[in-house]
Amino acid sequence: MAVNFNKQNDVSFIPSFFKKISEYIKSTTVWKSIFRVGYPDTMPKRMAVMRSSFYMHIFPTKVGIHGMKLKYGWCMGGITFFLFLLLSITGVILMFYYIPEEHRAYNDMKDLRYMVPYGVVLRNMHRWGAHGMVFTIILHMIRVFYTGSYKPPRQFNWIIGVLLLTITLLLSFTGYLLPWDQLGFWAVTVGTNMASSTPLIGYEGPFSKYLGIQIDNDIRFALIGGTRIGPNALIRAYVWHCIGLPLIATALMVFHFWRVRKDGFSGSM
Amino acid sequence: MDKENEFEKRVSRRKFFNIAGWTGFCTFLGSSGAAGARFFYPKVLYEPASTFNAGKPEDYTAPTGNEQVVVDERWKKSQRVWIARNREGIYATVALCTHLGCTPNWFPAEVRFKCPCHGSNFNPDGEVVAGPAPEPLYRAKIELAPDGSMIVTTGLLGIRRANLQAQKKTLGTFWTKEEKEIIWKPPYFLELKA
Repeated sequence: MAVNFNKQNDVSFIPSFFKKISEYIKSTTVWKSIFRVGYPDTMPKRMAVMRSSFYMHIFPTKVGIHGMKLKYGWCMGGITFFLFLLLSITGVILMFYYIPEEHRAYNDMKDLRYMVPYGVVLRNMHRWGAHGMVFTIILHMIRVFYTGSYKPPRQFNWIIGVLLLTITLLLSFTGYLLPWDQLGFWAVTVGTNMASSTPLIGYEGPFSKYLGIQIDNDIRFALIGGTRIGPNALIRAYVWHCIGLPLIATALMVFHFWRVRKDGFSGSM
Repeated sequence: MDKENEFEKRVSRRKFFNIAGWTGFCTFLGSSGAAGARFFYPKVLYEPASTFNAGKPEDYTAPTGNEQVVVDERWKKSQRVWIARNREGIYATVALCTHLGCTPNWFPAEVRFKCPCHGSNFNPDGEVVAGPAPEPLYRAKIELAPDGSMIVTTGLLGIRRANLQAQKKTLGTFWTKEEKEIIWKPPYFLELKA
């Protein structure tokens, strides 16, 4: 069912004046440097569009029709990426008002909710977006599992996906402390105390006593920068949350999408 | 083939520089990694001191009537310590749940400490009577200063190991006989002449 898009229309309702302008614009270097391929009316041209555009090149040049069906992938990976972008943008805007300091953090969070124009919208977008991202990642993982997309040649990408899930959970965990309220404070107290039960490097974990691991030199101490949750823990959570983990997540995502592009979409072609 | 050529064959110039280069690169990466890890361990902490003056023993109410112990909460917020007075003397309990480090609350009517996080219950001696806590509550050292006031040392740096040196690991739910000999004697217990 090939359709010939090249067929010239004999009857045109566009005045020749506009046609000339349009032809002139399309002949300029600026136009040609943006739209390099021309009207994508053939399959090679369509693939060339995907190849030659920076924004499109993360997609495969050619996708089977099954892969475009919504019920195949639910677009969960795409929604997760969208939420990551949303969280990055709202997070950066929240940083303009939030100071990660013992006496300021909780009040700044309250200010964002009640005093800053549209602050409550931004904070809620960030908070619910974070919950949603964990949710969509899990759905994405379920979909990949049930469609067998983790099988060779995509096993490497599954591992990257698991790492991305871990990074996302760590982002949620570090973000939990930042409001500096009772909920986050005790949740992080409990969470980091669990780290002290790590074998060898946690001071309550097995074998650690043979290495001379104490409360002031174990892995928990490195995580929270002290022996208790305090200002050091807050600034560490802040830096990991805003800089460290997003950078790692971005690097892994680049890998993840590149592998999707190289391996193609799963399922019968 | 003379000896020099044989050596040349075994370790050629290319191979030598290859090994030297990779060794240098790996040393750089390893030492940078170690330095980076070391960076996350602060050398100076600006945390509250682990020792404080808790005042005179007379400031704490003695148990009357059927009461076995009176738990005083005045130092809980600032020092994370309860000063408890029973009929024989005074001892200090650290307000730190042995499960995952939350702060339990004291319920005088039920004569129990209860942790809000996962529901561990402790009796006034600090023994676990319910919940997931693996060890009794830690005791702080309590000593008399020359002026008659009590110096309490929580020693939060390494509290789980340093506080009860004799029994480092699993203390069990209740104090063992050996531990009782430690916790009901100085410096963990301050006997008061009635």
